[in-house]
Amino acid sequence: MSDMSEASGASGAGGRAWLRSPHTLACVVLAGLVCYPIVLPGATYYQTVMLLAFLLAIQAMSWNIISGFTGYVSLGHSAFLGLGAYTAGILTPHFDVNPLVLAPLGGVVAVVVAVAVGAVVLRVRGHAFVIITIVLLLAMQVAATNFSSLTKGSTGITLPLPTWPRDIQNIPFYYVFLGLMVATFGFSAWIRRTKFGTGLVAIRDDEGKAAAIGVNTTIYKVLAYAASALFVGVAGAVYAYFLTFLNPTGAFSILPSVAIVLAALAGGRGTLYGPLIGAFIVQFAGETATVYGGGEQARLLLFGPALVLVVMFLPHGLLPTLRRYVERRRAAGRSVEFIDQSGALERQPIKVVDRARTQAAATGETGPPEHDRPLLEFRGVHKRFQGLRVLTGVDLGVRAGSITALIGPNGSGKTTLFNLASGALRADAGEVVFAGRRIDRMRPWQRAHLGIGRTFQVTRLFPSMTVLRNVVAPMGSFSWAALAAGAVAGHEAERARELLSFVGLARFADVPAGALSYGQLKLVELAQVLMLEPRMILLDEPASGVNPSLVDRLVEIIKELNAQGITFLVVEHNIPLVLELCDPVATLSRGEIIAQGPPSLVRADPAVLAAYLGDEAAEPQRLVDAAPEGD
Amino acid sequence: MRELTQAVVLGLLIGGIYALMASGLTLVFGVMGIINVAQGAFLILIAMITWKVWEVTGLDPILLSIATTPLMFGLGWALYRLVIARLRSAPPSMSVLLTFGIALSIEGLLNVTVGNRFRSATPSYFSQSFRIGSISLPKAQVYGCVAALIVLGALYLVLQRTWTGRAIRACAQNPAGAALVGIGAQRAAAFAFALGAATAGVGGSVLSVLYPFFPASHYDWISRLLGIIVLGGMGSLPGALIGAVILGLAETMTAAYGSLRWATLVFYLVIMVVLLVRPHGLFGTRVREDAAAGAT
Repeated sequence: MSDMSEASGASGAGGRAWLRSPHTLACVVLAGLVCYPIVLPGATYYQTVMLLAFLLAIQAMSWNIISGFTGYVSLGHSAFLGLGAYTAGILTPHFDVNPLVLAPLGGVVAVVVAVAVGAVVLRVRGHAFVIITIVLLLAMQVAATNFSSLTKGSTGITLPLPTWPRDIQNIPFYYVFLGLMVATFGFSAWIRRTKFGTGLVAIRDDEGKAAAIGVNTTIYKVLAYAASALFVGVAGAVYAYFLTFLNPTGAFSILPSVAIVLAALAGGRGTLYGPLIGAFIVQFAGETATVYGGGEQARLLLFGPALVLVVMFLPHGLLPTLRRYVERRRAAGRSVEFIDQSGALERQPIKVVDRARTQAAATGETGPPEHDRPLLEFRGVHKRFQGLRVLTGVDLGVRAGSITALIGPNGSGKTTLFNLASGALRADAGEVVFAGRRIDRMRPWQRAHLGIGRTFQVTRLFPSMTVLRNVVAPMGSFSWAALAAGAVAGHEAERARELLSFVGLARFADVPAGALSYGQLKLVELAQVLMLEPRMILLDEPASGVNPSLVDRLVEIIKELNAQGITFLVVEHNIPLVLELCDPVATLSRGEIIAQGPPSLVRADPAVLAAYLGDEAAEPQRLVDAAPEGD
Repeated sequence: MRELTQAVVLGLLIGGIYALMASGLTLVFGVMGIINVAQGAFLILIAMITWKVWEVTGLDPILLSIATTPLMFGLGWALYRLVIARLRSAPPSMSVLLTFGIALSIEGLLNVTVGNRFRSATPSYFSQSFRIGSISLPKAQVYGCVAALIVLGALYLVLQRTWTGRAIRACAQNPAGAALVGIGAQRAAAFAFALGAATAGVGGSVLSVLYPFFPASHYDWISRLLGIIVLGGMGSLPGALIGAVILGLAETMTAAYGSLRWATLVFYLVIMVVLLVRPHGLFGTRVREDAAAGAT
């Protein structure tokens, strides 16, 4: 849904592809907009309508960063416009400079407020954010009314008139807003191309998964909110100068926020061009309604029902809907070429860069992996969900360098144990220790940075991204430079391609993740986890639902990675596979480890048989036959 | 001391009314995961209708809630069936936008029909008070609070004691499980939404006497109510009650010891502080974050 530029880049095989590129069209339109006031300098009214459209576009594209890419809807985004405006209004008399010089400060103030509010509200998932954004707008209005020493209360602030000759009127504003619009567009396009932008989409698609692959979701969200405030704040300062008058009800009115939401939604939220196009549509429609329908009231009566209708009948917006229609027509004539398995089966053996050892060496941990020391250890771990006690004192150590299996009947707490290790859940009591450090209080991404990777029972890839972007998304450690790294080009993308060819799926790099078969998804998820350069990987039922030839390859890959020093903890119901691949094998039943040891021992253990087959434990052989069907 | 008692008593009275208004919002969120941003507009719509009827017939505005409550119930039911039910599978953010659109439509409609002016219903007891010792209790506040408590009690009984109420609670906890034991999730959801809207029936009628209002007042009201449920923990009924009382007290205290103008801002500051310490609100529960995204 959000990968228009990539898709068009990939499909444009012909030499004249640039002619059909949306960017070319955009450049032509931009040139037209630049020339417009030169050609028709006298059309003041239309210039004003246009510059207000630019202003709306700046806001809609900014809104799109937090609400489109990241999926956190802001309903009071024009609060930042008001903040920027008041910054200019308050500071101008003190500095005796042209308010346009102060405009960047409007952006700074907006960013500071966004970071402060975001840091409080965005720490958790959920709905508090959207509510706080409405509240923020009204709180700003109250604050602007009441801090009268600063804001002159409801009387409002008057700014100096523009210094340029009256006969060129709004033309300077026209160009300033046009410039800001282009800058906002460039900023938003740049974010989309970076790992940061990929992380934002990851949060929108599946926030829990994003955290599990090392994305510090809190910082990402706060940054996205700040980024979405920046240009709105700058534009607000310019807008104040344009209006030359500010008051609380005007600056913090909700109607502009509605226009932002409507514009981005109608155009296509999450896309690059959607909010831009939507802004022009909404601005022109609103203007028409105001002129022919009798003022602001008509605008309200238009926006309200329009929002309802768009949400109900055009939820993805114009642009994605159109694109889907065009793609469907194009695809009708072509045969689908990527649903074959031979491609997936021809694997390219490539070394996986081995952080397990390099990191151990760097941090001064003693020498080569000690094979008797546990890398991951659960100590007396308890977990209950309301009345249901899932884990009752689990003690389990996973030796460094081993492929340890965790088996047990359904509902015995295996996945819960995984969640406690990866940080998706917190234990009620007990400790989880990784490489000598207690990790049970850490956030999921911190654990990922330490080197714990996990896959999910039902794969959780980000459906709206390509396979390549899915693999690029993980963050092995947090650094500002890494945020700005390119997601589809450059070092990170290079490494992602390597890992894809390691699991044998290099050909599918640019295919949407949703188009792959179930087994292939499992391999992509493994490649994604490898991007973290993990020391340990938790595999949750890697073989379930995967056909036998892919299972063989999976086993091969796991063995190869293990040989390179990566430790595995595997939950699996396919007992023959477990017995072949893993040593030791631990058995979990009713929230406790009931047996642990080499496969041969566990296989013959009567307690294990009882757990799987009921109390009339049969001869050992039956476990091997019956267990896979027990799923 | 007298001043303090007076402020506390007033705060509790107002808190009771806020509690009623917020209960509908939190109920709908708890059952459906929908933040009904139109709840404020429902309030103003009913307040406007109550005011009009009072002006024309002279009937008591608060007693009129006997008629406005079923009216709002029906309107909520219809709105759910015709509009909101179509969005059940969409991400929750879309339902916010949808109800936001509904709120704007109601505001626009009121602007056109009754005009963009302040209104207030002023029955005979409007400016009278009961006196207990040195404490004065404005009659309108008392009647309003009594009406609110009656409806809250009725709501509690419906949710706890009736089959439909249990069905609603079942759907809130586990929609799939509820469907398996034969509860029609759609019907339960429609009923819950209608019930939530119905609280705006009483709330709106009471509002028409207690506060002056005009079509755009709904922003002010919805942000207070949303503040209450964020404070209390979204989806929690007891949380909404506590949050409402805190808001009521914060308002009257600030009004008594500071200035009325700061009252709302103080409340928003309280919310931010609470969220800083308890990100899920006072009574909010952490959701199981291991479940895949999109599951509510």
